[in-house]
Amino acid sequence: MTVPRSREELGGAVPLDEFRTVTDAIVGNIEQVIEGKTATVRLALAVLLAEGHLLIEDVPGVGKTKLAKSLARSIDCTVRRIQFTPDLLPSDVTGVSVYNQDNHDFEFKPGAIFANLVVGDEINRASPKTQSALLECMEERQVTVDGTTYELQVPFMVVATQNPIEMEGTYPLPEAQRDRFSARIGMGYPDAGSELTMLDVHGAEDPLYALAPVSDAEKVRRLIATVREIHVADEIKQYAVDLVTATREAPDLRLGASPRATLHLLRTARAIAALDGRDHVLPDDLQSLAVPVLAHRVISTADAQLSRRTTDAIIADIVHRLPLPTERTRPSQPRPSTDRSQYQPRRG
Amino acid sequence: MSASTAGAAPARTRKRTVGSRHHLGIVAGAATLLAAAPLISLYEGLGWLVDTAFAVALIVAAATGVRALRGPVGLQVLAMLGGLLLALTWLFRSGEELLFLPTTGTLAHFGVLLDEVPDVVANQSLPVGGSEGLQLLTVIGVGLIAIMVDLAAVGMRRPALAGLPMLAIYSVPVAVHQGSVPWWTFMIGVTGYLWLISADNLDRVRRFGRRFTGDGRDVEHWEPSPLAAAGRRLTVIGLLIAVALPLVVPGMTSGLVDRFGNGLGGSGEGGVGGSPTAVNLFAALDGLLNRETTEELVRFTTTDSDPFYLRIGVADEITERGFDHRAPDGGPVNEGLPGPSQPRPGVTYHPHQAEVEILQWDMNRLPVFADPTAIEGLDDRWRYDPDQQVVFSDDTGAAGLEYRFEYQRPQFDPAALRRARPLPDDHPIQREFAEVLPEERVSDQVDELIEGIASPYEQVLAILAFFSRENGFSYSLDTGSEVTGSAIVDFLFENRAGFCVQYAAGMAWMVREAGLPARVAVGFSRGSQRTNNTYLLTNHNLHAWTEVYFDRYGWVPFDATPSSSIAGSIAPAWAPDPNAPPDPNASGGPSGPGTPGENPDFPDDNVFEGLAPEPGGGGGGPTETQAVWQSWLLAGAAVLLVLLILPALRRAQLRRQRLPRRAASPATGPRATAAPGVVTSGEPAAAARHRAHAVWDELLDTLIDFRVPLNPAETPRVTAERVIRECRLDPPADTDTTATARAPGGAGMRLLGRAEERARYAPQPLPATGLVSAVRVIRRALAGQSTRRVRLQAALLPPSTLLHWRTVTGDAVARAAVRATRLGDALARISPRRLLHSTR
Repeated sequence: MTVPRSREELGGAVPLDEFRTVTDAIVGNIEQVIEGKTATVRLALAVLLAEGHLLIEDVPGVGKTKLAKSLARSIDCTVRRIQFTPDLLPSDVTGVSVYNQDNHDFEFKPGAIFANLVVGDEINRASPKTQSALLECMEERQVTVDGTTYELQVPFMVVATQNPIEMEGTYPLPEAQRDRFSARIGMGYPDAGSELTMLDVHGAEDPLYALAPVSDAEKVRRLIATVREIHVADEIKQYAVDLVTATREAPDLRLGASPRATLHLLRTARAIAALDGRDHVLPDDLQSLAVPVLAHRVISTADAQLSRRTTDAIIADIVHRLPLPTERTRPSQPRPSTDRSQYQPRRG
Repeated sequence: MSASTAGAAPARTRKRTVGSRHHLGIVAGAATLLAAAPLISLYEGLGWLVDTAFAVALIVAAATGVRALRGPVGLQVLAMLGGLLLALTWLFRSGEELLFLPTTGTLAHFGVLLDEVPDVVANQSLPVGGSEGLQLLTVIGVGLIAIMVDLAAVGMRRPALAGLPMLAIYSVPVAVHQGSVPWWTFMIGVTGYLWLISADNLDRVRRFGRRFTGDGRDVEHWEPSPLAAAGRRLTVIGLLIAVALPLVVPGMTSGLVDRFGNGLGGSGEGGVGGSPTAVNLFAALDGLLNRETTEELVRFTTTDSDPFYLRIGVADEITERGFDHRAPDGGPVNEGLPGPSQPRPGVTYHPHQAEVEILQWDMNRLPVFADPTAIEGLDDRWRYDPDQQVVFSDDTGAAGLEYRFEYQRPQFDPAALRRARPLPDDHPIQREFAEVLPEERVSDQVDELIEGIASPYEQVLAILAFFSRENGFSYSLDTGSEVTGSAIVDFLFENRAGFCVQYAAGMAWMVREAGLPARVAVGFSRGSQRTNNTYLLTNHNLHAWTEVYFDRYGWVPFDATPSSSIAGSIAPAWAPDPNAPPDPNASGGPSGPGTPGENPDFPDDNVFEGLAPEPGGGGGGPTETQAVWQSWLLAGAAVLLVLLILPALRRAQLRRQRLPRRAASPATGPRATAAPGVVTSGEPAAAARHRAHAVWDELLDTLIDFRVPLNPAETPRVTAERVIRECRLDPPADTDTTATARAPGGAGMRLLGRAEERARYAPQPLPATGLVSAVRVIRRALAGQSTRRVRLQAALLPPSTLLHWRTVTGDAVARAAVRATRLGDALARISPRRLLHSTR
């Protein structure tokens, strides 16, 4: 099976109006379960349409898994849930070849990863060995077992959750793994009104079970094709590069964002623009996405950690300070104000 | 740390700050007094200094008092003005004071005192003394400058600015008494200025806390440090260069004219010539001529209805410096003067009497007419040199003398002079007064002039005629720049501009070149202040002319200076003015009196009283100088005006470019009210984008002009929303918001934001309708909310334009710095020193 990557294989773009109708339906569906978190839900959907993966990180009980599952249920596609435990093995995720005595040959039994939506719960509880099994799946959307490569379906999205508070018996995600997640979002506590509504709705039965899909994989593939066609102006690309470069030059950050981060930032921005009904990306999109897309990939310096400056705050600060590129500061022109290397003191 | 010590530290800092400000205020006052040192040369005695010091002390005390009470800067200035007023009341009492407080009577008294100042300035010579009005003016002036210095140094913490008012003090004596301001007074002023600046710097360092020397001790007071020492050395060297350079470079003083100027241009040290024996005559004259003020020197009455020039000296010796005078020699005037000359054919002598009253003339020379026959009223210390025909003394001055003398006024017959023959070569006068330094161009010119003329008199006339306007000679106090290195050549051939000294010396030189004895006589023209037969001569009537010796006729005067430029100039019958139109009367009856060269258009001497600062300005300055000054002043004012309105002009031009008039009209049309966000494909996208960018730029500049902060990190959408919020551009909730025209600010702002956003980032921009009117409406709304000051500044000195210029300049400087660094690096790479370092 070949993975549909081109526009035709995906099924062709839909008009923006239709796009909005479908996505609004999905968001509305999820909001039946997750009250008062429209922005978070939209971001999760955007990551799906941007062909990325989502890391939901928050304290227990705020609805991380519920969000992942409701998103999966809203789309009529294959969903698998993996509960990451310390004894989970890579083959549990990717699949394993077993000997078939009927035809005297090894037969590949696909793992949990072979689905459109994979919900990885408590991902940091698995050993790094098992976590690493996700690397190839997430980036290359394929699985290689015993020298044979199996391609994954489209759409394919890993929604992982993790708990930042309880660290005992957990294995923090390695940098390479974190970089593969397009965005990290926190759920946050619901406001008082939403929580009251939640008591009413969730009191009798879990609405998740009543949730009916409002879209299917076929439709989502066309939505993905639509997102790919969103216009990105040169200034926006420049701004994305500027943002990522700024994280690499920020004195508070030991490790800046990777080029993959730039790609994810722009892709997610396209999806957000499409969700807004726009045919073009705005710098506002990049600004709103900078923290979710960049903050989990960077590593702050010891000084910044000591002064309790989170990476979220550092990224937000960069966004607040970085000037927008305009036509006056085209990439081809030298920009003396940001070229700091020229002013470094000579040594010798 | 206990709470008490924690509270004590800021208190100590505060106390130190206030204390340092007091200290700086006192230094500012002292520096002002030091800067007033150059005024010493203007006044007799130091009484004015005591008064000024008292006033400055009161000003400093007032400022210190207000600062101790933490009064604002405005209050400090008011207190200092009050202190000045109190000091003036105390120093210049009228008797109507209320204890120490001024009343209207006091102010009226000040008015009376100040009224006398113009008279004092016009009539008194320097140094002046005894004028209470002038003293009042001085105290007021220095007091105001002390206030400005205090304001700059303590109030604004910009002590470097205080240099301007301090320099203003120095400019007063320099303008009034050029060349006679001793250099050391300037140094005193400079010392005060440096003291102020260093005190401020020390104070700034102390504000950070205590100075740390590096060896563990902190320093409360001044202590040498190697870096500071280098800075001080640089300062001293710079100061020395600044002071010494003008003294060394001749072009920056009067230069070569002095060397050519027959010794008239001296060093100017003599002033008005206190001790008669010790003073160089011409140096003393130069001191007089240098004055910008007019001083009445001599008044004389004569029976002659058309007197010639009074003589005071002769320059007849050729030296390297040009014509110089030699010490006169002769017997006492009371032992008899040479008797009346015998009548000779061709010369008629008319006996006359004259009375001379010396007013402000304290030199060892007395002005007399040529050929005096008897003098009364002088003692034996006054002597007469029959050769130079001057009255002189070796041990007394002329001040206050009144004397009478009889003299013969010679009238030469041109026809007779024409018959005069050259002196024989061995004649003592020929030997003594016909020698000249070799100068090829001069001798060539003279040869050309006198070619084919045998009569010495005709030769002299030919040379006299050479100094005509047709030959390009003009009267000017500016003698032009040095060209050839020889002042005589410069004047005669290159610049052809000068005043009486140049003309007299130039003609004498040429006459000598022709082989005839000649010398330069110095004295007074007749001036312009005449009452009947009484003449009043001022320092501006000093004059020089040429005398040529003819066999059997003696010394005959010729005046080559253009008579129209000299008040009271004379062109006698035998020496016609080379510039005068042909005049049958002047061409010569034998007994015809000399034609007075007074130009009827020539204005009164007083007109030039402030405008003749150059040496040798005999007879006042020319009218061109005044015109030149006025035109320079006008041009300067115009340039200043243009510079001031340049930002506003540039802003208006930008606005016109960005908001074209024709685009404003469709704004009111139906399309303007169309729902924003509609994308047109009809209008060319590039043009619409360009329009949107231009309008957005204009909007940003407008926001800058009206002091709305901008953040370059904000997107157009965010900027629009923030400005709407901060500037309250949205109409109140009860207004109808659907009509764009009636809810202009907010809707327009959003429209502009969206237009710019789409122009930048969308494949298809918004149509460019309604943008221009929107930006105009926003501008009006912002103007309506701003204070008058902000509005004025937005109109006259738009901050956006200034910011743009500053940015452009800053970028250029940064680029230059980068280039210079690269160049330095490149040079360092090829420097052999690098090899030395790398081998270590």
